[in-house]
Amino acid sequence: MESPGHTYATGVIEARLGRGAQDVLEAAVVLEAWGGVRANAALSLGSRVVPPKPPSWRPGRLNAEEGDRRDGILTEAIALIMAILAVASWAGPLSRQIGTSVLEQAILIALPLTLALQWALRSRYLSRRSGLTCLAHDRLALCAICLLGIEAPLVLLLNPYGPLAGMFVAIWVGGTVMARRGWALPYGFLLVGAVLGLGAGVSAYRLLEGLTAVILISVVIAVRTGGGRSDEPAGRVGRALSAGAIGLALGGLLVGDPSLGWGVHGAFPALALLPSVLGSFWGGYYLWRFYDVIPRGLRGVTLDQANERDVRGPAMEIFLGSILRLLGTTVVLSAVVILIGQWTSGTNRLSLFVGFGCVALLTMLVSLLESLAYVRSALFAAVAAVAVELTMSQLLVANDPVPGAALIAGSVVGIVLALPPLIRLLLRPGRVLATSLWIQ
Amino acid sequence: MLSPQPATRPSAGAGDAQPVDLAPPRHVPSRPRPAFGKRARKASRVGAARRPRILMTTEGTYPHAVGGVSSWCDLVIGGLPEFDWQILPIMAGDRRVAAIFELPPHASLVGQIELWSDRLPRRRWFVRPDHRGRESLPANLVRALIGWEGSYDALLDALLWCRRRPDAVRRAFRGARAWGAFLSALEDVLAEHHPDAGSSPKLDAVEAARLYQTLYWIARAAGIPTPKTDLLHVTAAGWAVIPALVHKQLHGTDMLLTEHGVYVREAYLAAARSPSSQGERFLSSRLARGLSRAAYVAADHVAPVTEANAAWERGLGVDPSKIRVVQNGIDAPASYTDPPGNLKVVSVGRIDPLKDVQTMLRVAVEVARRVPGARFEYWGPPTKGQETYARACEELARRLDAEEVFRFMGRTDDPNGVVRDADVVLMTSISEGLPMSILEAMAQARPVVATAVGGVPEVLRGCGIVPPPGDVHALATGVAMLLRNPQLAARLGRRGFARVHRLYTRTACLGGYRDLLGQLTSAGMAA
Repeated sequence: MESPGHTYATGVIEARLGRGAQDVLEAAVVLEAWGGVRANAALSLGSRVVPPKPPSWRPGRLNAEEGDRRDGILTEAIALIMAILAVASWAGPLSRQIGTSVLEQAILIALPLTLALQWALRSRYLSRRSGLTCLAHDRLALCAICLLGIEAPLVLLLNPYGPLAGMFVAIWVGGTVMARRGWALPYGFLLVGAVLGLGAGVSAYRLLEGLTAVILISVVIAVRTGGGRSDEPAGRVGRALSAGAIGLALGGLLVGDPSLGWGVHGAFPALALLPSVLGSFWGGYYLWRFYDVIPRGLRGVTLDQANERDVRGPAMEIFLGSILRLLGTTVVLSAVVILIGQWTSGTNRLSLFVGFGCVALLTMLVSLLESLAYVRSALFAAVAAVAVELTMSQLLVANDPVPGAALIAGSVVGIVLALPPLIRLLLRPGRVLATSLWIQ
Repeated sequence: MLSPQPATRPSAGAGDAQPVDLAPPRHVPSRPRPAFGKRARKASRVGAARRPRILMTTEGTYPHAVGGVSSWCDLVIGGLPEFDWQILPIMAGDRRVAAIFELPPHASLVGQIELWSDRLPRRRWFVRPDHRGRESLPANLVRALIGWEGSYDALLDALLWCRRRPDAVRRAFRGARAWGAFLSALEDVLAEHHPDAGSSPKLDAVEAARLYQTLYWIARAAGIPTPKTDLLHVTAAGWAVIPALVHKQLHGTDMLLTEHGVYVREAYLAAARSPSSQGERFLSSRLARGLSRAAYVAADHVAPVTEANAAWERGLGVDPSKIRVVQNGIDAPASYTDPPGNLKVVSVGRIDPLKDVQTMLRVAVEVARRVPGARFEYWGPPTKGQETYARACEELARRLDAEEVFRFMGRTDDPNGVVRDADVVLMTSISEGLPMSILEAMAQARPVVATAVGGVPEVLRGCGIVPPPGDVHALATGVAMLLRNPQLAARLGRRGFARVHRLYTRTACLGGYRDLLGQLTSAGMAA
């Protein structure tokens, strides 16, 4: 039979919590805080009012913070498209003014360096909510590294193409920072302005120097005005360096096949890159929901199912959805570019589109591996791809190869290496969440 | 409590109505034996040559955050220069934090444990990896910390594993088998039957993954090296105990635990009031209980700041012979002024659910109805992580149409001035230890109306009004009575002033700690 104390205690607990107590401690704490019962008495009383059955189960909901996602990939993609269009438009006038070989060498150096810096910056700063504030915090060290470690060697040691490469790097990486600030459109206008200037016969070097200066000043302003106050720390230096190495390898993959003819075939390779970049943009944007979709998909999944394989689980669903978007967009846009080849510098060689599509797919896989902190696997796949590409280039050089053959071979090897660890992981969404997304 | 981005993880937990078995565990070295012969001479030489060292572990407080515990740390460390203080703060590493308190010359930071940060432990390239036990680490931790009768020995074994292989912890937790073993262990824990434990709720995969992540950070905290020291001083029976547990096990150093609030009690209160799911509430409170149990077992001495906390600690199974109350104290002015008679009611503290600001708002409305012209001011910022609660309070003020009467004033650099400018000081907390804000009000000779929680009734005996927590009517009646009766208010204020000078001075507080720490460090140095 229930005593008056028991009835009072149960009443206080249910009035305060709207349910029974979870255990003796919760009962005691509630009785002391709101029932005016002293600690010892509350502990003693608490042990008598713990209900034997838990309330019916309702899975929790995710709060807004858990659903938060980063938007760095969107702005970066915009900046990248701008950069590609600029290359495509500048190629003709630049090669006429400064020579094809100088332009080719400059692009061969600048593209990998740009990707390396973009990956590193994204890893340490730009993918974070307060990315620009973090960047501002390290501004002096970053300026020193960029000036002494990249620009000075390019300008001083690699004449005549080094200075041009240095300007390309500054313009393209600066574009990434400006896009992160939300200034993608002004950046695009700057590049279009440069195209008009080149078309009007302005000296290429003078024009690019001016453009570089304007973009660097814009970057400084973007960083100084973009962050506000934040105490979010920047990412790990080691991880940023690894990300930079992956970017470098992917950049190397883009320029490692001489049959592509960067700077030699005018706007041709840059335009061929456009479908796959847009495909990457859409696929990557969809993939960015990964951090949101997986926990949501796992809400309500019971513990005995939490480590089960699930081909239709949230991880595989979003992964396959991203790949389909990437491949679909690339195929459709490639077909469009090929069909209108006569108006796009004769950009109609199928193998090139296949090659760039493979690079885009490899980049997505490697990027996903890196974001899940499987950095070594990502780096291995990217480096192996470059190694195979360079080897194939050497082997095929005497046989008048199909354009982009080495690029395709390297990318396919990279894809084959990157896919198994990813599939193995993504098949178990519970494991992805616990061991990879939330423990980095 | 630490309040990082992905889920606040309060800690501390402990106990049930029947005292839990707190017999010294197998691995804990016994108290140092008396020194004889060579050992005694060596100890004597060492003792003469150097000052006693105390390793103080803090959790989300000193020296990086303001609050009662930080003020207490500052007072004790600054006031006891005869010790060398080694400070090891545990803090959320998902944001940059600067030290708010300047350390005196006899204190130094000996590292910091950053939770939820991107940093990794330094890799030991030339140490041969030893992966034994790696896959069972998360499972062992969940059994020891979440299980109702989790094994202290098993917890120590797991934490020691982490200290010996700090760079292997991440790998251990990222392994597929470790996750599988963890899930099995968690299911075992949920299936436990104990009359005091009630029935465990069902958990889902996301809640399990959250717990897994939290245990990872516990393992990472255990892996942080600690310096040689003569005494471990743990300032909360939660996360702060983790490095001390490992250090004690490795070196046999004595551990002193000072509790300002009762950690497990506050964790349960926070969980009970949070809008989280049953599973999240269950896990956060059980984890707190697991950490507190370990702290109570490992502590050689427990020094609560008020008898009210001591009662909880005894109820939670701490051996009464370990407990010695050392009350807080403040620097009280030599003279006082009478209340200004401006009908102003002031509260100083963080905006936090434990302060029950929403009850205070309702009290303000009620008092304003009874005493036209009464105004309320709340001085203090929201606790980190409680910004949503602060917004809810502001919303409630709007709904109650209390914005004219009640104002949130933000942080103040002059709490004494704020209190001096009031007629009454009000506190509506649902959990307190021995609140400094009440001592400060008494030192300024201001009458206090405060809820009867923790050590408040003990402190305000005869010099304040102490209604039950959450009782809007009683609180409002107390405040209105003092506003309408300035003579009574002044008399209570003067009594408070005298009581602070008699019982709660800085000198008395420091004297208590000087004695206690002196005894404990002498034993440590002799060992």
